[in-house]
Amino acid sequence: MEEKVLTQKFDLRSLFEIGSYLQQGGYKAVEKALLGMKPAEVMEEVKKASLRGRGGAGFPAGVKWSFVPQKVDKPKYLCVNADEGEPGTFKDRYIMGHNPHLLLEGIIIASYAVGIHSAFIYIRGEYEAIAQRLEGAIAEAYKKAYLGKNILGTNFDLEVVVHRGAGAYICGEETALLESLEGKRGHPRLKPPFPASIGLFQCPTVINNVETLSNVPFIILNGAEWFLKKGLPKDGGTRLFGVSGMVKKPGIYELPLGTNLKKIIFEYAGGMREGKRLKAVIPGGMSAPILRADEIDLPMDFDSLVGANSMLGSAAIIVIDQETSILEVLKAVVKFYSHESCGQCTPCRIGTSWINKIVERIGHGDGEKDDIDTIIRLASNIKGKTLCPLGDAAAMPILSVCQKFRGELEGYLPR
Amino acid sequence: MSPEYSDELRKKIDEVVGRYPKKEAALLPVLHLVQGEVGCISAEEEKFVAQILGLKPMKVREVVTFYTMITRQPLGKYHIQVCSNLSCTLLGAGRLIDYLKQKLGIGIGETRPDKKFTLSVVECLGACEQAPCMMVNFDYYGQLDKSRIDQILDSLT
Amino acid sequence: MAKIFIDHQAIEVSDGLTVLRAAEEAGIHIPHFCYHPAFVPEGSCRMCLVEIEGLPKLELSCSTVVKEGMKVHTKSAKVVEARQGVLEFLLAEHPLDCPICDKAGECQLQDYYEEYGLFESQFKESKQKREKKVRISKNLILDRERCILCTRCVRFLNEITRTEDAGVLNRGIHSEISIYDSDLIENNYSGNLAELCPVGAITDADFRFKTRAWFLERKESICPLCGRGCNIVIDSHPGFPRVNMTQRVYRIRARKNPDVNAHWICDFGRYSYAYMDEKRQEKLVMKKGGRDMGLSWDKTVIMLAEKIKGLLFMKKLSRIAVILNTWLSNEELFLADRIFRNELHLENIFVVDPPQGKTDGFLLTNERTPNKRGLQEIGLPASAPDLKELAEKTDLLLIFGSFLVDEFNVTDIKNAFDKIGTKALFASHKSSLDSLVDIIIPTLLIAEKSGTLTNIQGKVQAFSPALDFGGEGLPEWRALLDLAKELKINYKYFWQLASPELVLQQMGKEIPFFIK
Repeated sequence: MEEKVLTQKFDLRSLFEIGSYLQQGGYKAVEKALLGMKPAEVMEEVKKASLRGRGGAGFPAGVKWSFVPQKVDKPKYLCVNADEGEPGTFKDRYIMGHNPHLLLEGIIIASYAVGIHSAFIYIRGEYEAIAQRLEGAIAEAYKKAYLGKNILGTNFDLEVVVHRGAGAYICGEETALLESLEGKRGHPRLKPPFPASIGLFQCPTVINNVETLSNVPFIILNGAEWFLKKGLPKDGGTRLFGVSGMVKKPGIYELPLGTNLKKIIFEYAGGMREGKRLKAVIPGGMSAPILRADEIDLPMDFDSLVGANSMLGSAAIIVIDQETSILEVLKAVVKFYSHESCGQCTPCRIGTSWINKIVERIGHGDGEKDDIDTIIRLASNIKGKTLCPLGDAAAMPILSVCQKFRGELEGYLPR
Repeated sequence: MSPEYSDELRKKIDEVVGRYPKKEAALLPVLHLVQGEVGCISAEEEKFVAQILGLKPMKVREVVTFYTMITRQPLGKYHIQVCSNLSCTLLGAGRLIDYLKQKLGIGIGETRPDKKFTLSVVECLGACEQAPCMMVNFDYYGQLDKSRIDQILDSLT
Repeated sequence: MAKIFIDHQAIEVSDGLTVLRAAEEAGIHIPHFCYHPAFVPEGSCRMCLVEIEGLPKLELSCSTVVKEGMKVHTKSAKVVEARQGVLEFLLAEHPLDCPICDKAGECQLQDYYEEYGLFESQFKESKQKREKKVRISKNLILDRERCILCTRCVRFLNEITRTEDAGVLNRGIHSEISIYDSDLIENNYSGNLAELCPVGAITDADFRFKTRAWFLERKESICPLCGRGCNIVIDSHPGFPRVNMTQRVYRIRARKNPDVNAHWICDFGRYSYAYMDEKRQEKLVMKKGGRDMGLSWDKTVIMLAEKIKGLLFMKKLSRIAVILNTWLSNEELFLADRIFRNELHLENIFVVDPPQGKTDGFLLTNERTPNKRGLQEIGLPASAPDLKELAEKTDLLLIFGSFLVDEFNVTDIKNAFDKIGTKALFASHKSSLDSLVDIIIPTLLIAEKSGTLTNIQGKVQAFSPALDFGGEGLPEWRALLDLAKELKINYKYFWQLASPELVLQQMGKEIPFFIK
């Protein structure tokens, strides 16, 4: 059995209460950072640990923190991306539900490293129960002076606010998240400028995913080298792989980066459900290009998946069986992106809807010979041409399904 | 006739607004609070919220119509939101949606005449390990099948 | 300064310019919809994507700032494909309204399709059905099916008028532009929205269905309705079948001038063009024994000169009075000053203007004439006459403009005029003054003649004829010059001032303000 890092104490049902958490050694990382390290040292340690973002983009967290200007006469902000909208992904819910204080520790240490005194947790509106649990943990942390003014008697202050979203996948995109936090529609912004210089309320801002921040306490307690050993030389740590779909044991599996995908599905997640055979796997959340059953023998790390023309993304593994029509898969994909498109830019607004209309028509039995070619052409006109990554997130799975399962799709069209 | 908003609601709103460096940033949290009390955000609520936050009602409506969890129409006592995304579809969400339509006697997006249930179809709820799932108001229910659904509906009084 | 290459052409541009602006300066047009120089770049239409060497993806030219050595390609295969992609998306959900859409002929979607598209539609689905006649202001109608969501209208109302009247509702393909319920847009700049809209989504009821854009002749002019002097374009019908046979002007549009009116004109200026065609003085008439007798200008100027010479001979020059106005051009006011004050030493020179209005805090000024500043710089007195006094001491009254009826009531004017021997009226429009004067000389509008005006900021702006006048009108500068020549005063001086341009040159020599 692999040694767990993040989820090592998650079996303890009372872990979300600060009393239990402290008993288990909680908030020692905060003490070590604030009382024993300088902010620059904390940042350096996280950089050395090669902690890559676990939201989907995989950008190194320490490097992102270093982009924020040190001396600036504006407040700096930390936004915790708890929007978790990527289909197939449920790891952040898992972390926040079981161990909200772990996330708070990560928030405190990250804020200390960058010089941030105000943090917002942007949590999707559907996670109301989790938001309440977070708010409970925050209240406990304030009481024990791990939050608020003069934390642990130092001159470091930090306020944390839980901010609920209201049902928009696009708000998981960092600049749309900022717009939404500012009380507006979740319309992504043009980059540059980047949030590290112009972010929330036009101030320097760091946006990090829940799982990313939840790793920070372990890096501080055990050091960067230890963290790297848990994963790969260039990608430290473990990932919370979320397996769902047609497997016997769907759920969260914390495993080192680099663990083989086939192993995750057939050993850890118990393999296919009774009588089902594997058809395809989406390895990193719906935005990750699909893999055929014969393509899953590979290590789950950033580079290997790029090499397989897919991506690690949110490490959400969706297992699809032979009996499921690939058309149903495509339908779910195009329906999702056309529903979630914010509507700002032409290719995504019209393109995702057009493709959705074609797939619906095929589903009703009115497909035409050149429909797949049209879908591929339209998706190619979305890819790389949109204002934000949602366009690519839509185009890539659509293209991969059409290319890898073309034969099956054409079975729905007239000869 | 302008509707009355309770003092308690106003207090909660003030508290929430105070958490943000700019009033306008509190728009979504305030909309959640108002919707929680009133049931929906109609034009009256838009103007009420606009006035508190120093915004034009147009700006409030822009936000209200962007987010799926903010509703302009009142909903049934129990808003049944069934996930129709991939993992849930793989595990039979489609059949369950049909079952709910038939059992409740309403279509997607509709409210039963007795105003007890509204049925909606939503995207990924982030509970894929329990697929197929649904959310009733804010409560998650997973590993659904027809008998589980029957049980749940019976328990909703 | 930075040296960059656009389509292999080397150009020097100022630092901080975007690629799109730099290309524009070099005469290369990069197609776009949502970009507008008056607003912060939006980057949502995706039409302006270009290829920049060294960068993997196509980049937005509207928001990418030039860097030294940058190599941009605006016509490469990748760019052409991307442009066609955007066009295809827009046209897929666009209604086939061209035959009934006012924007046809000046529509960016049409124009870009003709230049960069020319492909067959592959869209086999049903287009989104949306409302097609949403009234958003007194004059403007929004057609949501035609809308391409460039959001220029929303941004104009946010960033320029700051009235925040419009916004985008819903999400994704269901996004739509809207006002708040029936809170119509009610500001003095709403008309700019129809111009701003790159397609026929926002149309102006004032122009709706009246004509086709390609029938219009577009000429530059200056709006004379207030002291701002906004630069305009007058769209007129040169002769083709017209809605109303006497209507020439169909529309006024804004013309860009960064120093005066940026990209805008106010609704007051935009919609008040009917006066150019209505109630015009068309014939030069002299009233004799209760009848109107037609007369030529040549004979009239001789007659006027005779009257003046007569009074001069009798040493009664002081019995001549002149009423001017500040619709007159710089050249006309200068000639009036030199002739009446300098040469004839008249003292009774007055100015009667239409009443002031309220400024709107942006372009529209209190003063409702275009050349009050010009009058000040030339140094003419600016007060109105006392009618009773005027009546007692005047034998010959030359009136420029019919604004007396705005300042005084007709009975008082009649009583005064009954005591004045000869009243000659130079006016462009019919008014109740007509029956009270002896000679009516029709004059031309600013839109019909040449000259310069000085706006409230002190900017001297030239204008030239944008319309032909079918009647017998003549410009006041010619009337004054002919009078001077007929009077044979300072022959050499006035003879060489043969055109407004030459008059302006002379003004530059005599008044420092008017040095070019």
